[in-house]
Amino acid sequence: MAKDQEIVYSDDLLTDLRYQISNQIEGKSLLACIQCGVCSSGCTVSQYIDLQPHRVVACLLLGLKDEVLNSNAIWYCSLCHRCTERCPKNVDFSFILALVRNMAVKEGNIPAEYAVSINNVLEYGFIIPYSGAMKKTIDRNRAKFGLPEIVGPKLEELVFIVKETGLEKTLEDAKKIKKKEVET
Amino acid sequence: MEYAFFLGCTIPLRYPQLEASTRAVCDTLGIELKEIHGASCCPEPVAIQSLGIETWLTLGARNIAIAEKMNLDILTVCSGCFETLKSVHVMLNKDKRYFDMANEIISKIGYEYKGTSKVYNIAEILTEDDMIQKIKSSVSVPLEGIRLATHSGCHLIRPSKILEFDDPERPELIDKILSALGAEVIQYAEKVTCCGFCARLNDTIGDDLCEIKFEDLAKNEVDALITVCPSCTSQYDLHERKINRDKEVKMEIPIIHLPEIMALAFGIHPKSENMDIMKRAIRPKKLLEKLNINI
Repeated sequence: MAKDQEIVYSDDLLTDLRYQISNQIEGKSLLACIQCGVCSSGCTVSQYIDLQPHRVVACLLLGLKDEVLNSNAIWYCSLCHRCTERCPKNVDFSFILALVRNMAVKEGNIPAEYAVSINNVLEYGFIIPYSGAMKKTIDRNRAKFGLPEIVGPKLEELVFIVKETGLEKTLEDAKKIKKKEVET
Repeated sequence: MEYAFFLGCTIPLRYPQLEASTRAVCDTLGIELKEIHGASCCPEPVAIQSLGIETWLTLGARNIAIAEKMNLDILTVCSGCFETLKSVHVMLNKDKRYFDMANEIISKIGYEYKGTSKVYNIAEILTEDDMIQKIKSSVSVPLEGIRLATHSGCHLIRPSKILEFDDPERPELIDKILSALGAEVIQYAEKVTCCGFCARLNDTIGDDLCEIKFEDLAKNEVDALITVCPSCTSQYDLHERKINRDKEVKMEIPIIHLPEIMALAFGIHPKSENMDIMKRAIRPKKLLEKLNINI
């Protein structure tokens, strides 16, 4: 074993980590992994990540939560879905990674870009800002092409969904965690 | 043939010229598009899915529910919207727990997700056999002598167990459309290489992937790269300019969205109100010259 590697004792393993994933929608396939490594060999971003896809799965199965959540592999995925496509055991790795990102988000780790995305959806109904001067420019552009007026969603409906699905609370909690981190 | 037309965000708000050419092509081919009033972002399959699966599924179910009220199947033009809405459709129909979860929430704001409206990408409709015949007979400016490469992009073909369109490793259906327009479609080594747009938390990935793609395209001397997804389109267009600047090269490979090249072959003028093919970083001047189209 390399010198800089820490020994993790079995008592410290989060043994139900695998079930936290497998109990969720499309997460069950995690349990079928045979560690063949096909996902990693075809991964678009394998040279940029510090934990290869099959190792991410191994960590999830073993209960090494921090190893996974601290890895850049969960954020650098290009979502090409080749891992899922090629897996001989039908492990849906690219989607399982989304479930892992959800887990990271719940611990307060939200990439700034993603925070902007959800804010835009709640504020404009779309991922792209669409109000005020911006809206005027866009509408003028659309009119030039003879395109119909955009009839967007009622924003309070989107706010309601974000609240009811628990994301509103997650985002608020994340802000609190961040504030605490800054303070300490 | 009538569809609920799901626009999404990127095409209607950022690239209305792509929407214009899409509508013109559908009009020519007799594909009737009905506006979906009240639709939101699909929601986007990278950020929103990463933040919360339940939120992603439920916002998607709300959008699909609007189309279901219209009694129509959904036609998407962006691969991101296609991936999200089709995944939501397939996943909710398969998993009763989440089907009930989404419905419990949206029923409180007056919606019901039934799972009855199918979700299509426009490429699926365009590659049906009788449609290919229709496309052939609609061509007035055949793309003879034009060398084209296609980039299907990831979210049109993978994961195939959900999207069920084309071969996930060797896509060829987009090529079929271009052949029907009279073009010569080339096969190239980096055909299925991802554009890297979705790996946007690390810029190097997109830069490297685009460089690999363009190196191969330049070697193959293509007249244009044909894309299906608006994100791939802008990713390649902007990166080609960046590579030209950073490496002091002068590549002139225009990135053209599938409905745009179809509109061109259907005789729609590239600077008419139905399209504006010049609105991009790398302009297709040489391609238009080859086709004897003056702008």
